[in-house]
Parts: sequence; C-alpha cells; structure tokens
Amino acid sequence: MSDTWHAYGVELHSRFLLGTALYPSPHIMQQAVQASGAEVVTVSLRRQSPASGGGNRIWECIRELNLRLLPNTAGCHSAAEAITLAKMSREIFDTHWIKLEVIGDDYNLQPDAFELVAAARDLVADGFAVFPYCTDDLVLCQRLLDVGCEVLMPWGAPIGTGQGLINPYALETLRARLPDVPLIVDAGLGVPSHAAAAMELGCSAVLLNTAVARAADPVAMARGFRAGVEAGRHAWLAGAMPRRQTAAPSTPVLGTPFWQQGQAHD
Amino acid sequence: MNIGIAGAGLCGRLLAWQLLRAGHRVTLFERDGSGAQSAGFIAAAMLAPFSEAVAGSADILTPGLQALQDWPAWLAQLARDSGCAVPFGCEGSVVVAHGSDRAELHWFYRRLQGMAAPAAGDCRLLDGPALRQLEPGLGAFTQGLWLPGEGWLDNRALYQALDGAIVALGGQWRQGHTVSAVTPAGLVTDGATLPFERVLDCRGFGARDQLANFRGVRGEVLRVYTPEVQLRRPVRLMHPRYQLYVVPRPAGIYVIGATEIESESLAPVTVRSCLELLSALYTVHPGFAEAQVLEARAHCRPAFADHLPHIIQRGALLQVNGLYRHGYLLAPAVVNSVLSLLAGGEVLAPVQHEVADGPNLTCQRPPARPRGIKP
Repeated sequence: MSDTWHAYGVELHSRFLLGTALYPSPHIMQQAVQASGAEVVTVSLRRQSPASGGGNRIWECIRELNLRLLPNTAGCHSAAEAITLAKMSREIFDTHWIKLEVIGDDYNLQPDAFELVAAARDLVADGFAVFPYCTDDLVLCQRLLDVGCEVLMPWGAPIGTGQGLINPYALETLRARLPDVPLIVDAGLGVPSHAAAAMELGCSAVLLNTAVARAADPVAMARGFRAGVEAGRHAWLAGAMPRRQTAAPSTPVLGTPFWQQGQAHD
Repeated sequence: MNIGIAGAGLCGRLLAWQLLRAGHRVTLFERDGSGAQSAGFIAAAMLAPFSEAVAGSADILTPGLQALQDWPAWLAQLARDSGCAVPFGCEGSVVVAHGSDRAELHWFYRRLQGMAAPAAGDCRLLDGPALRQLEPGLGAFTQGLWLPGEGWLDNRALYQALDGAIVALGGQWRQGHTVSAVTPAGLVTDGATLPFERVLDCRGFGARDQLANFRGVRGEVLRVYTPEVQLRRPVRLMHPRYQLYVVPRPAGIYVIGATEIESESLAPVTVRSCLELLSALYTVHPGFAEAQVLEARAHCRPAFADHLPHIIQRGALLQVNGLYRHGYLLAPAVVNSVLSLLAGGEVLAPVQHEVADGPNLTCQRPPARPRGIKP
C-alpha cells in the first residue's frame, strides 16, 4: 500500500523529519539520518557567520546525504530577523522551503504568534514554502493558513524538553478541524512512543532533533523513532478501538456457565 | 632518521621532543615562534575523559583514562629535560547544574553509568554539603557530580618547557617560516622544498586544504583573573543551552571555555559568545563579577568527520591531525601512535590510521560554492 503525503506539492514517503544539529560528530549524524529513513532534514544557518564562509564544511556533510533540505530560522526573535535569515538560507541552500521559527519567550522558546504570522505573510508573498513552527492554538493555525501556509508545525512540547505531547487534546482538535492540512508535530518529543502517540492522533509527520542527537546511541535511537512513527501511522490508518471504562473479554464467554462467571468476580 | 615537522602546536612540539628523545634528528617549523597561534595554546587543557566521553564519543574514555597515567610521567621527564616544572592537577573535576537544570546533571550521571569502563562507577553524585566540602567556592549549588581523577595542566607552561627541552636535546627550530605545503619529499617553505627522510604534518587547522572530510570547529575561550574565587578543580556547568567549563590555573587565573560553532572563521570573539560565557560564569560564583578579563581568543579545532584523530600515511609523510577538542586528552595516544608507526608498529586506539596511495596531495574537497551561485 502506498501511503504518501505531500508538502507544498512534493510527495514524501517518510513521515519522519530529522534535524542535523547536536550530534557527537558529523559521521554519526550521517549514519543516524540514514537509519531514520528521513527524506527531509533541517539545517540551521544561525551563528555560523555564512558571510565569512562559516558552516560550509558541515553543510557539505549534510548535502552529501542527498536529501531535501529544510533550512530553519532558529534563534530569531522578530519577523524582520527571520525574513533576513530565510532569504540567506534560500540563497545558500538553494531551496525555497523554510522552517519558520520566531521565538517569543527565551525561557521555553515558545513561538511568538504575532511575529510568526507577520513573517509568514511576507515570506509566502516572496515565494517561500513556509513551514511555521507554532503552538497548538487553533486560531493561530487558522491565521497561518489564511496568510498562505500549506503546512503547520505545531509543537508537542517546548523545544528540547523531551516531554512528549503536553496537550494531545489541542492536537486532536487541530486534526479534526483542519483535516486536509499536513500537520507535522515539531519539538518536544523525547522517546519513540511520543512520536507514535502523535501519529496515532492523525498527525502527518513528526520532526525532531535532540531526542536522537543526544541519545547515547543516536543511530539506534533514529531506528527506534522510525519504528515509532510507522507504528503510530499504522494505528491511525487502522482505526483504534474506543476507550472503555468496563472491561470486555477478548475471549468470547458465550457458553460459560453462570456460576463460573460469578466466581471470576468474587 | 632526519625528520621534519611542520607545525609546532601541541602535537608538533610533543612529537619533536619525543622523537629527539628517541635519538632522531628533528627540525621543527613554526610560523611565529611562541606557539601562540596554535589551538593548543588557547585551549583550557583539561584532562577530562569522563566528561568528554559523555559530551562526545565513548571511544575516548579508555585512552583518556590512560592519558591521566601518561601525563605525570611525561611531565616528570620533561622537567628533567627542560628544568621547568609544568603545573598539573588531577584532583578530579566537578559537574554542576542550577536547580532548574538538575535534569541535565542526572542525564550526565546516567550516561556515565552506562559506560563500560569500571572507573565510571567511581563517579559520585554529591549533595550540597559534600560538594562544599570538596569545593567551598561552589556554594551556589545544591548538587554536583564528582569525577575523580580528572585533571588539567598549564598548557602555556608546557609549551615553554617543551621549547626548552627541544633546544636542550639538539632540535632545530625554524621559526617564522610558513609551510605552504607538505609532501612526502619534504616541506615547502619560502618556495623551496626542504627534503627529509620522514615528514610529519602537524599543522592542525592550518593543513585543512590538504585533507578530506576535515573541517575547523570554531571555539572561543576567555582567561580571567580574580583572587576572590578559589576553585581547585575544573568545574563544568551543565545548562540546556549554555555549557561552560572553568579550569583553574595557578595564581587566580581561570580559563573559561568554550563555544563550539560550525564555522571556520578565525575572527575575534563575538559579543554574543562573551555574553553567554560570562553570564554563565557569573552564575558559578558571583566573585567572578569583578574578575579581570585577561584575554578572549578564538581558534578552530581541527576535526575529521568522526571527531577522532587520524594519521594518514603517504610514503614518507605522516599527516597527524584531527585532535578536535581532545588535544591534551588524546595527545599521548597520538604521539605514541606516531612513534609506533615510525618503528614499524600499529597505532593505538582511538587513533585512525589510513594509508593513502600516491603522493597526490591536492585538495580532495570540492571548492566552496560562492554564495548566490546555484549548482
């Protein structure tokens, strides 16, 4: 069965997007990305002073993977800053895809909803395919769609916390209310079961970095997340049974004498 | 043998000294004359096998623990050869985190416990009183992790002592010569090739155009002076974003490091990096507020893609490089590997040995793509 999804008209098979920062070495980063099966990897320009040639070497390691690049605007605090960095990224990485991050709070790196919408509007107008890193607020997500975003990247939890889905209700709401929009849960996932949970809610894909890069064995953790994403996706497609308060036996009890059933409850 | 060494940073100086001791003729080429432009001169020179294995690869734990045995023996020998004692400490190091970041400390501890080396079992979590008993200056913290045996050495005193030993043992210095290329036939400097029986390329980041899968990783380091803070041991502050180590030197001097940025820029330290390093430093001990900033320097750590040291053999040439952030920790393994190879033996873990065919030393890396030009 072919189970693909689309982001800005590009057909993708893998539902696992992986970041390329924080690994013990570029060599391990390459192996982890390969193990993940990811078709899209994120890459950051920030603090690498590209104007003076900084970052070129590590980007070569990332380009060697031959995957689709999703540059990000990590570390930006205003729309203007993010737009400048997005334009630089487009030039350097030769892609109009941009993961738009505009941070509003330095403590939990929460996105600034207002600057995010403003930056997204300008970038879409400039021809970018914007992947906005946003909170799970339905109205914010709707505004991002209104200004031309075709993909949403709601957080699972604040970046790097590994908390898992702190508000599954909000993600379920997004899925129910925006059924045709690709939702990529970005940030906050710590273990493969978190990724599986996001996919079970019907999210289209997950994006993460720290949970793999900072694992004791990043390559093995990449495999683990790949399996978690696939497990959750299968569950969503299969349709889960309802949660019940009352136990229901999986072995039919028809024909069991009443006195035996009574005993079982004593 | 008549051996020429290009680059007199940590690796070049140590190899010159050891090869002279082994009875070889050695000529050492250095662009300045003090070693002050080498990454090893700027470094904090921590000997931290546990912390570095947690931060990077577990492959360096065992050789790093071995280095803690090797350095005291080397320094004793060096004192005899040079008449200079190099300050050295091995009373362990301390890892701390502020209350809200305690999870970082526990993560570090769990990672240590997961390592195969039995010595990792000696690392202990300390409560506030035990921590203050060990390091009274760390009163700001209620928990810490003690890594016994970890240490530091005074790298600038080491450079000086090595200079003295190299001269005393009859080594030839060629200072103020920039080596433009290194080939199996010899060293190219000032347009002429100087022949040697063996050539060692120890230029670190300076050799980048002759190495594949190699890059510089920018690091920024500060040196401060304060008589107000007394720390005997290296202290590592764990924080989700701003990691920092503070390494003591004699007479109230502390080395503060280090940023790690994917850039090959050798430009001076940035304001952002200073802010990050110094604000983290201030949270370690408020006495640092009045410390004098003696120096702020940036350099590029020489790194291969696996972050391990490599020795690439091309006939009579050995390219010795990739010590990355583990120069002092892995120097014994690297130096002993070179000595072993020259004597027909094998390299020691974790040093990677490659034998390259042919003398072709042109850059194997695609040229950097100019900005704005699409491939």
